[in-house]
Amino acid sequence: MDLITVTREEGLRFSIRLRDHVITTDMSVDEGGKDGGPSPVEFLGVASGACLATMVQAYCDTRGYSDGDVSVSLTLELVENPNRVGGIVLDVDLPKDVPEGDREKLRKMALRMPVPATLKSKPRVDIEMY
Amino acid sequence: MSDTVELGGKMVEIDEDGFIQDPDVWDEAVALSLAKTEGVDELTETHWKLVNYLRDYYLEYNMAPMIRKLCKQTNLSLKEVYDLFPSGPAKGACKVAGLPKPTGCV
Repeated sequence: MDLITVTREEGLRFSIRLRDHVITTDMSVDEGGKDGGPSPVEFLGVASGACLATMVQAYCDTRGYSDGDVSVSLTLELVENPNRVGGIVLDVDLPKDVPEGDREKLRKMALRMPVPATLKSKPRVDIEMY
Repeated sequence: MSDTVELGGKMVEIDEDGFIQDPDVWDEAVALSLAKTEGVDELTETHWKLVNYLRDYYLEYNMAPMIRKLCKQTNLSLKEVYDLFPSGPAKGACKVAGLPKPTGCV
């Protein structure tokens, strides 16, 4: 895994650099930022949705299901004490020609895809301050 | 911080995010006024199905339902819920249904 760095641009806007990519995170105006990009918490939803879309599309491509593309809609359920994501709710739209048998298979596979599986396994978070 | 504003022809106390403080003052006229504050100018039959489900659930359990439960019980996809209430089920639909600002769930 390559190193990911998060460095301040201004205010609460940060640049995230990984491999040859640069993306931006910021907080909403209500939360003290300038809304220059998705918030860190929103990226958690982004990761989940993108993971599902990618893996399910790859499955459909392999099987030759091509009557439409895979798309994902999602939202986050936020809870307090402490403030955190209590749930990620995702709807996946499949190509129309995916048969019911494979739809059921994909429902089971979805929770074993890398991001959902990681979240369900409660990964260790190891933080050191310098 | 709360404020008192006119909603649906009556003076109603709201919190800093525009949620009504006393669910008992809610009625359909208040709901219509609250909807306008969320950029929803008209409440269709589908809007009411969602609003009434939220309200009935809240009155029975004193909390808002989980989003998946809301979708399943109203037979609406997540995208359809956001099409109805662009600010989302918590900020939009729960507000219109007269629920206090949800601390969790939707």
